[in-house]
Amino acid sequence: MRQPSAGEALAAALSAEYAAIYAYGRIGVRLSGAARDAARQAEAAHRRRRDALVVQLSTSGGSVPPDRAGYALPFPVTDRASALRLAVEVEERTAAHWRAALASTTGADRDQALAALVEYAVRATRWRKTAGLTPQTVAFPGRPA
Amino acid sequence: MVLTCPVGIGRTIQRDQASGHTRRKLLRVGALLALGGAAAPLTGCDLFDRDDEPSPPPDPLRPMVDESLRLAAAHQAAATAHPELADRLGPIAEAHTAHATELARVIGVALPSPPAATPTTAPAATPAAALAALRTLEKSGQKSATLACAAAPAERAALLGSIVAARATHQEALK
Repeated sequence: MRQPSAGEALAAALSAEYAAIYAYGRIGVRLSGAARDAARQAEAAHRRRRDALVVQLSTSGGSVPPDRAGYALPFPVTDRASALRLAVEVEERTAAHWRAALASTTGADRDQALAALVEYAVRATRWRKTAGLTPQTVAFPGRPA
Repeated sequence: MVLTCPVGIGRTIQRDQASGHTRRKLLRVGALLALGGAAAPLTGCDLFDRDDEPSPPPDPLRPMVDESLRLAAAHQAAATAHPELADRLGPIAEAHTAHATELARVIGVALPSPPAATPTTAPAATPAAALAALRTLEKSGQKSATLACAAAPAERAALLGSIVAARATHQEALK
């Protein structure tokens, strides 16, 4: 398989960030208390990475994929349990995109991709803890199953 | 939803295949044949090689294999000393063994036999102290894996990134 360029990998990560922000809009309303605060913080982290990617891709002359009005969720979010499950899924999938960007990047760009992978993997573990799911960790975070 | 990337990648591959690089492929095969031809006389020279050539330097990831096995052993030892932690520590120990196995495969060595339950320090007296000690080990393991990931060639970066992230999530699970 051809190695995607850094620009392509980061554009894919940006599309994932758009979808994550959309998903957290659905997740947050099903949560309350500390979990809701955690969802808000998670969403803010995805917004920060989205904004940084838009700037980075446009200044480097790369193509900036557009956001969409909506994204198909993998399953309906109807209650707290499904909201938490989706939060785990969102973090794992965005982590996977940043993991994929590691091979296409070097130096500061790779550091940035690794920081995102680590942050999202840790957040997926926190969501599993909140949801009471075990095991709380996976052996290879971000690796396609 | 976030599946947009794999879809995108799939599209790229299809485009490559659709345009068809038959000629380029043929050229590449030609180049490989040429390399094969050039390599043959070199093999001949090796027959007269003496032992004065330095052995190849050890793979930079070799210490990571040992570190993963040491981490696995530390979790196993703590689980033995504190059986009430076994459910939590078991999957983490398995993850470290899986890392060691994968790293050994990538660098092309046989997985060394695990250090026979000889972690450097004795397990802590209380479960809380054991968890704290394991968190410290995971934290320093995360640091060394981060350095390895930054220095790694492209084909190893993703595996090392997963190992960095796994060690970070272990600290969270040990809280």
